[in-house]
Amino acid sequence: MRLVLLLLRKSLLGFWRAKAAVAITFLVPIVLIYLFGHVFGLYRKDTGPTGIPIAVVNASPDPAATQLIDALKAEKAFRIRTVTKLADGTTRPLTEADARAGLKNNDYRFAVILPADFLSAERFGLRVKFLSNPRNEIEAQTVNGILQKTIFSNVPQLLGQSLRQSARHLIGEENLTKFNRALANAYADYFNFDREETFRRLDSADFGFGDLKHLPSAKPPPADPNLRRLDTAPATTTTTAAAEKNTNDVFSKIVKIDNEQVAGKQVANPMAARMVGGYAIMFLLMAVSGSASTLFEEKSTGIFHRLLSSPVRPGHILWARFLFGILLGLVQTSVLFLAGHLFFGLEIFRHAVALLAVSLSAAAACSSFGMLIAAIAPSAAAANGLSTLVVISMSAIGGAWFPVSFMPEYIQSISRCTIVYWAVEGFTDVLWAGQSLFEVMPRIGMLLAITAGVMAVALWRFRKGKLFD
Amino acid sequence: MLTLTSVTKRYGDTVALDNVSLRIAPGEFFGLLGPNGAGKTTLMSLVAGLRPADAGDIALAGQSLAASAATGRGQLGLVPQTIALYLDLTAEENLRLFGGLQGLRGDELSARVEEAFTAAQLADRRHARVKTFSGGMQRRLNLVAATLHHPKLLLCDEPTVGVDPQSRNAIFEYLQRLNREGTTVIYSTHYMEEAERLCSRIGIIDHGKILALGSLDELLTRLPFEDEIAFPATAATEPLRAPLAAQGELLATNGTLRFRPRAGYPLSAFFALTESLGLSPRLFASQRPTLENLFLHLTGRNLRE
Repeated sequence: MRLVLLLLRKSLLGFWRAKAAVAITFLVPIVLIYLFGHVFGLYRKDTGPTGIPIAVVNASPDPAATQLIDALKAEKAFRIRTVTKLADGTTRPLTEADARAGLKNNDYRFAVILPADFLSAERFGLRVKFLSNPRNEIEAQTVNGILQKTIFSNVPQLLGQSLRQSARHLIGEENLTKFNRALANAYADYFNFDREETFRRLDSADFGFGDLKHLPSAKPPPADPNLRRLDTAPATTTTTAAAEKNTNDVFSKIVKIDNEQVAGKQVANPMAARMVGGYAIMFLLMAVSGSASTLFEEKSTGIFHRLLSSPVRPGHILWARFLFGILLGLVQTSVLFLAGHLFFGLEIFRHAVALLAVSLSAAAACSSFGMLIAAIAPSAAAANGLSTLVVISMSAIGGAWFPVSFMPEYIQSISRCTIVYWAVEGFTDVLWAGQSLFEVMPRIGMLLAITAGVMAVALWRFRKGKLFD
Repeated sequence: MLTLTSVTKRYGDTVALDNVSLRIAPGEFFGLLGPNGAGKTTLMSLVAGLRPADAGDIALAGQSLAASAATGRGQLGLVPQTIALYLDLTAEENLRLFGGLQGLRGDELSARVEEAFTAAQLADRRHARVKTFSGGMQRRLNLVAATLHHPKLLLCDEPTVGVDPQSRNAIFEYLQRLNREGTTVIYSTHYMEEAERLCSRIGIIDHGKILALGSLDELLTRLPFEDEIAFPATAATEPLRAPLAAQGELLATNGTLRFRPRAGYPLSAFFALTESLGLSPRLFASQRPTLENLFLHLTGRNLRE
C-alpha cells in the first residue's frame, strides 16, 4: 500500500506541475459550463435567445398592425427593424423587396410582413407573411415558436379589430355605432360602469373591460350564478394536451401565417449544409493549432540550431510553418467537404471556387492562430493546453455548435471577433445560400484581416520570445 | 580562420563566456575541453551565429560575423549536441533537405549525399526512417548532415555523447579525414581521451574562461610533475612513504599510492630506493600525466564533477 501511495503522490505532483494539464482539466470545463449556461439561460429568469434581428414590413394601414409590431418589439428575443437606411443617411420604412434582399444578404434571417390585407373587411381573422432564411435549424425553429407565441398572445385584441371591420362591412358604420351604443349601455348599466367609457372601448374594439372602474355611487352588480367575467380565470381549467391542441387549431384558423423560405430552398441536404461549416472550422483549428506545437519539438531536438547555422533565418521557418498550416487546412477542409458530398449529398461543386476561397482564407486564419499560440506559449505542453482551451471556447461562442443568437448580446459581440464566426458564416453563405465568390468576399476579407492581425502579433511575439534561442 | 576577441556572453546574472579571446588557424583540429556548463556550447553557438555576443567580436576568415553573418554561415557546419534530424523522414530525405538548405542542387547534391552515406557507412539504410536507427547510426548521420556543403569550419558540439565504441571510431576517422583534407574543426568535449586523441591544440575552459591553451605536450608541461608512479599501498611498500613524500607529492587513493616527483628528481634515484628495500620493479607502474591531471591542477576539481 505504501508503494501505491508513493506512486500516487508522484502522479499528483507531476500533474500539479504540468500547468497545461491543470488548465485543461479545470479551466476548459469552467469556460464551457459558463458558455453553455448562457446558451441555456441558467443565469436568467427569462431563458431563451436575445436580440435576434427581425425585419418587419408594415404594409397595413390598420392600427392593429402597429399594435402587433409593438408587441414584437416588446419581445426580448427579437431586435425589430422596421426601417432601412438610405444613402443620404435618412431612413424609410422597409418594403417587402427590402426584406427579401436583406434576407438574401443575411442582414437578418427572419422577416415578418404585415400585408395591406393584414386585417380585411371581407374576411374574419389576421394574415401575416413570415419570410425566413433558416441558415441555422435550431435558431429557425426557436424564432418560429416565439413569433407564433407573440402573435397568438395578441390575437384576442387583434381579433377585436377584425370583428369591428367585418361588422362595419356587413351592417354599415351607422348601424354598427347604434349596436355598440346599445350594447355598451346595457353592459355599463349591468356592471355599473361609465356608459361613455364603455362605449368608447367597445367602439374601438377594445374588449378588455377588466380595468374599468365601478361608479362610486352605485351598488355592485347583483350576483348572477349564470354570469362570469370572461377576462378572469375560467371556471374550469382544461389544460390537457387535447385542449391546447384545439386552441392552437382555432388560432391557426384565425391567424393565417404564410411561411416562405427565401434562401436555401435549392439545398439538397439542408441539415448537412448548415452543420458542416461549424465542424469544418473546429477540426481545422484543432489540426492547425496542433501542428504549431511541432515548432517546440524542433527546438528541443536542436534542429533549429542546425537550421539557423545554415542560411535559414527564423522568418523562413515561421513562414514555412504558416504555409504548411494553410496547406494542411485546405486539404483537410477539402477532404471533409468531399466526405460530406459522398455521405450526405452535400452540394460542393456548384460554387467550388467560392468554397475553395473561403476554405483558403479560413485555413490562413487558423494557421495564424496556431502561430500565435506557438509565439506566446512557453512550451509544447502549454501550447497544447492553451490551444485546446481557445479552440473549444472559440467554437462555442463563434457559432460552430449552436446559434450565436442564443448567447447574451455581449458574447455575441465577442463572437464577431473570432475566426470561427466568420468562417461559419462564409461556409454557410456558400453551402446554404449558394453565394458566389464575389458575394462571399466580405467574409473572406474579414478572415484575411484577422489573419493579418494575428500574424502581426505572432511575429512580434516571436521576435520578443525565446523560441529560437 | 576564426578569431574571438574579448567575447562575453551573459544569461541574466550568469556569465557564460567571460572575456574570451582565441585564435584558431586554418586546418587546425581544435579541442574545447571542459565540464558540463563550462561554456563550450555557448562558445559554439556564438561562432555559429545562433546568438549574438554581449561584447567582443568574432571574425571568420577575417570578416566579423556581426557584419557578414550570411557569408559566415555558408562557410561553417554545426554538429549539434542533440540528434538534430527529422526522425520521421528517411536518412536520404534528411540529407537532401539539409544539403538543399545549404544551396546544393541536382547532381552536386546527389553526389554529396552519396559521399555522406559512404562516410557514415549508412548507404544500405538510406531509405529507412531515422527513428528506426540505433543511437550510433543517428550520431553518424547527425555528423555527415553538417558536412554536405564542405564547410571550411566544422563545429562539433560533443558529437559522441552516448555512442558505442564502433560508431565513435567511425566518427573520429571521418573527422580526422576531413581535417586532413583542410577542414578546420572545433571539437568540444568533456572526454579528455577524445581531446588527446584528436586535437592538435586544446583549450581548457571552465566557468566561461579559457584556463589553458596549447598542444597536449605544451599543456602538460604546466604540471609540476612529469610522470606519476603508482604502486599498491601494502606493508612492504610502507617504508617508501616517508622518503618519497620528501621528494614530491604522494597521494593515497583506493589502496593505491601515487608518487608525483618534483621537477628534477631523477627516476634512477627512485628505483635505487626500491631496490634497496628489495621491492620488485613489477610493483611499480609509470604513467604519463593526463589532461585530467591538468584540469584538476588548474581548477581543483575533476573534469566530470
